Amino acid sequence: MTPNAASRSGGSTGPSRRSFLASTAVATAAVAGGLPLLSACGGSDSGSGGGSSAGKGAKKLLPSYAANSVVTPDLPAKNGSAAGFTAELDIAGLKTSVPEKLGKGGKVTVMSPFWGSPPKNDNAYYRAMNELTGVDVVWQNQDGNTYDQKLGAVLASSDVPDVVVVPGWNMGGKIPSAITGKFADLGPYLSGDEVRKYPNLAAIPTDAWRRCIFGGRLRGLPMPSSYVTNIVPLYRKDIFDKEGYQVPRSADEFLALAKDITNARAKRWACQDMKWTAFNTFGVLSGSEKPLGWNLVDGKLVYRVETDAYLEALEWTRKLFAAGVVHPDAMLGKSSATDPGPKFAAGEFLVYNQDISQWWSRTAEQAAQNPQYRIWGMDIWGHDGGDPTIWATQPANIFAFVSKKAPESVVRDVLAVADVTAAPYGTKEYMLTNYGVEGTHYTVKDGVPTKTKQGNIDVLNAFVMVASPAPTIAHPDFPDVTRAMVEWQQRMGAFTEKSAFYGQQITEPTRYTNLSNDFEQLEDDIVRGRKKVSDMQRAVSDWRSKGGDQLRDWYRKLLDDNGTATS
Amino acid sequence: MSHSTVPRNRTEADPPDGPPAASGDATGPPRTARTGRVPLRVRLRRDRVLLLMTLPALLLVLLFNYVPILGNIVAFQDYDPYISDNGVVSILHSPWVGVENFQRIVADSAFWNAVSNTLLLFFLQLVLFFPIPILLALLINSVVRPRVRALSQAVLYLPHFFSWVLVIAVFQQLFGGAGILSQLLRLHGYDGLDIMTDPDTFKLLVTAQSVWKDAGWGIIVFLAALASVSPDLYEAAAMDGAGRWRRMWHVTLPALRPVIALLLVLRVGDALTVGFEQILLQRDAVGPGASEVLDTFVWWNGVRNQDFGYAAAAGLVKGVVSLGLVLAANKVAHLMGEQGVYRK
Repeated sequence: MTPNAASRSGGSTGPSRRSFLASTAVATAAVAGGLPLLSACGGSDSGSGGGSSAGKGAKKLLPSYAANSVVTPDLPAKNGSAAGFTAELDIAGLKTSVPEKLGKGGKVTVMSPFWGSPPKNDNAYYRAMNELTGVDVVWQNQDGNTYDQKLGAVLASSDVPDVVVVPGWNMGGKIPSAITGKFADLGPYLSGDEVRKYPNLAAIPTDAWRRCIFGGRLRGLPMPSSYVTNIVPLYRKDIFDKEGYQVPRSADEFLALAKDITNARAKRWACQDMKWTAFNTFGVLSGSEKPLGWNLVDGKLVYRVETDAYLEALEWTRKLFAAGVVHPDAMLGKSSATDPGPKFAAGEFLVYNQDISQWWSRTAEQAAQNPQYRIWGMDIWGHDGGDPTIWATQPANIFAFVSKKAPESVVRDVLAVADVTAAPYGTKEYMLTNYGVEGTHYTVKDGVPTKTKQGNIDVLNAFVMVASPAPTIAHPDFPDVTRAMVEWQQRMGAFTEKSAFYGQQITEPTRYTNLSNDFEQLEDDIVRGRKKVSDMQRAVSDWRSKGGDQLRDWYRKLLDDNGTATS
Repeated sequence: MSHSTVPRNRTEADPPDGPPAASGDATGPPRTARTGRVPLRVRLRRDRVLLLMTLPALLLVLLFNYVPILGNIVAFQDYDPYISDNGVVSILHSPWVGVENFQRIVADSAFWNAVSNTLLLFFLQLVLFFPIPILLALLINSVVRPRVRALSQAVLYLPHFFSWVLVIAVFQQLFGGAGILSQLLRLHGYDGLDIMTDPDTFKLLVTAQSVWKDAGWGIIVFLAALASVSPDLYEAAAMDGAGRWRRMWHVTLPALRPVIALLLVLRVGDALTVGFEQILLQRDAVGPGASEVLDTFVWWNGVRNQDFGYAAAAGLVKGVVSLGLVLAANKVAHLMGEQGVYRK
C-alpha cells in the first residue's frame, strides 16, 4: 500500500471519491481564498492579505531531514515517482522503527474525512493502534464527500476536536483563516532538530513539510505524495487485447478509437468524462490548486484559464460528449455520486480517468470474482502525437492540524501517533497502520499479505490521515501492477514540469477569494454542450477585469519577493 | 377618555368574568362585543394556566425562530466566523460593508437566474402539482370499500417516505441516458433519450418528481376536510335530484374551499422555496443555468464558497419577498371571503 493508496483506496468507493474530490480541487481551491488581514501572512515576508511558505524565513521553520530507509525499495523513486516495493514481505523480519511508546496515554479526538463506511469506533484495528502508540485516539469520521460542508461549521464552533484533518481541496472560502486562527504552531516541537525525537517524521521529505506552513507557522502534519499527476487514464486491457484496440497516442487517435468502441445499443461506450486527461494531454497548467495554475510565460505570469491549451482541451472533451462516445452517466456530472467501478467491470465503458491508486484497488477488488479483468494505465499522450507536457501537482495535499487549545501533553501524544503512522514500509508500525493485525485483518501466504473481510472494514482511512511516510507504492499481492504504477509515474515524471509556485503553500488575499469560483462549473457546462467555448472566453475576460489582473500583480510581487520554492 | 385609563377603571368595576358587553356600556357606544375589550390583567389572570402551558413552545419559537433572525445582521458584513469561537464576538469583529452585499446581488446575473428559475418552478408546480392532491382526495373519497380505500391511501402515501436521493436514483435508472427507457428505445432502433440531463425540460422533470413523491401525502388535509362534510347534505342534495357532478360542485367543493384557500396562501408564502435537496442533487446533471434556485444559490455561496455575508443577504432578500407574497396572498383570500392564515 502506498500512503496515498492507503487512504485513497481500500474501499471500492473510497478511491474514486477521494481522488475525484482531489481533482475537483480546482473548484474547491478555486473557491479557496485569502485570509483576513489579521491572520494572513504566510512565510515571512509576503504582501498583506495573503502569503506563501517560500520566504527565507520559512527555512528555519522546517524540520531537518534525516532519512531512515528500512527496506531498500525494489524500484527506487525517480522523476518524482513514489518508491516501489514489489518483493514478498518477510513478516517475521519486520523492523521496529518506534522502539518505545511515546504516547502518555492521553485521550485525543480526531475529526477526519472518511471515504466509504466507517467502522465501529471500538474495533480491533483502532484498539491495536492505540495500544501501539500509547494514545487513546477517538475518531470522529465524517463523510469525505461532504467534508467541506461540515468543516466550516465545526471550525466556527467553540468545540474544535484536538486534531482536525483538512485536505487542501477543502480549504475553500475562509478555511485558511480558520487554520491560522484555530490551530497550534507545531514549530516548537518539530522545527529544525526538534523533529529528531520523532525519527519517522524526520524522514518525511522537506517538500511535504514546506506545504505545512500556514500563516507563517508550521501547523500541519503532511501526507506526502508524488508530484507526478495522480490522474491516470485507466482502461480495460483485457478487452482492448481481445478486440485488438491500440492504446491511442494522440487526441485524434483517441477520438477515432472511442467511436470505434462505442455501441450504445449493446450498452457499451468508450469512456467517462475525460476532462482531466484532456487537461494533461493538452499541457494545461494544473488545476489541482489555484497557485499551481500560474506560470511564467515569456516573463509574464499567466493563469491556466487564459491559455489556448485550456480552451483546446475543453473543446476536445466537448467533441467526445457530442460524438456520443461518453457513457450517459457522465452527463450527470458530480451528481452521479455512484461508484463507476461496477459499470467499468461490466464493460459498459472501457476508459476512465482517476487517481492512480485505483489501478491497484480495482485489480484487487475484481481479482477473485473476475479473473479475466485487467485494468491498466495509458501513458498520457501529447495531443498532437508528440511528447506531452505535464504539470506537477503538490508534494502534499492532506494535512492534520492540532487545536490551539490542546495542552502540550496532547500535542506530544498526537506527534507520538504521527511518528507511528509515518513509519516506512518494512516496519511493524507500517504493517499495523496499513494492514491492521495479522490474523484478524490480514493473512499472509507466501509472503503476500491479503486483507480479510474485517480488514477491509476496519483498516480504512483513519490513522493514515494523521501523517504518512515518503510516497510509497507497495503491493506485494500484485507485483506487476505495483511495478507498472511506479514505472508509469517515472515515465510521466520525465515529462513533468513544475510551475512557478510549485511546492509553496499560498493563501490568496480575501478580496480574490471568490474570483475563480465558477470556472469549474463552466467547464462542465461546456464539455456537456450546455454552454459554448466563447462563454468561457467571456468569463475569462470578466475574471481579468474583476480582479484577475490585480491578482496577477499580487502573484508577481510574491514571486519577486520570495522566488520559487525550489530555488 | 384615554385608552389607558379605561381598563383600570373597569377592572375595579367589573367582576373578572364579567360579560364583555359590560365594557361596551362603560365606553359609551357599544362597538363590538369582542373579548379584546376585557382588560389585559383580567385576561392574564383568567388564562394564566393556558398561558403557562404555551410558555415552553413560545420559548422554543423565540429561541430557534426569532433569535436567529438577529444573525441576519451578517448580511451587512464581510462575516468571518473564524475570528472567534463565539459567534457574537465574530459578528462584532467582522468588518462592516454596508449594503455592498446587496449591491453585489443586484449586479449578479447568477442571482437573477436563480430568481427566474425559482419563480418558473413555483408557477409550474402551482399549476401542475397543486390541483393533483385535491383530485386524488376526491377520488379516494369516492371509494366505498374500506379495504380498497386504505390500500390505495397507503400506496399513495408511501413515496413520501422515500428520501430524495432514492427518488432521483430511481428516476435515473428509469429515464437516464443508460436507463431502462433509453435502452428499450435503442433496442428498437431509436436513439436513446436522456430525460435526466436535459436542461430544457428540467423544470418539468422536477415537478414530475415532486408529484410522484408528495402528491399522495398532500391529500391528507383534503380528506380530513371531506370527512367533515355532513352526509345529510349529500342526502338532501340527492333528494332534490342532484346528480354526482352537481353534488360535487355544490356540496363537496364548497366544503373544501376554505382549506384550498388556506393552503394556497401558505403555498404562495413558500413560493420561493421550491425544493432544496431535490435540486441540489441534480444541479450538476443540468448545470446551474437551468437548476439553480434561491435556496441552492444561498447554499452554494454560503456553505460552499463561505461567502457568508453575501449568502445571508440573498437569504434576507428571499425572506422579505416571501413575507410580502404571503401578505398579498392573504389579502386576496380575504377579498374572496376566506379566512386565510389570520383574521383581521
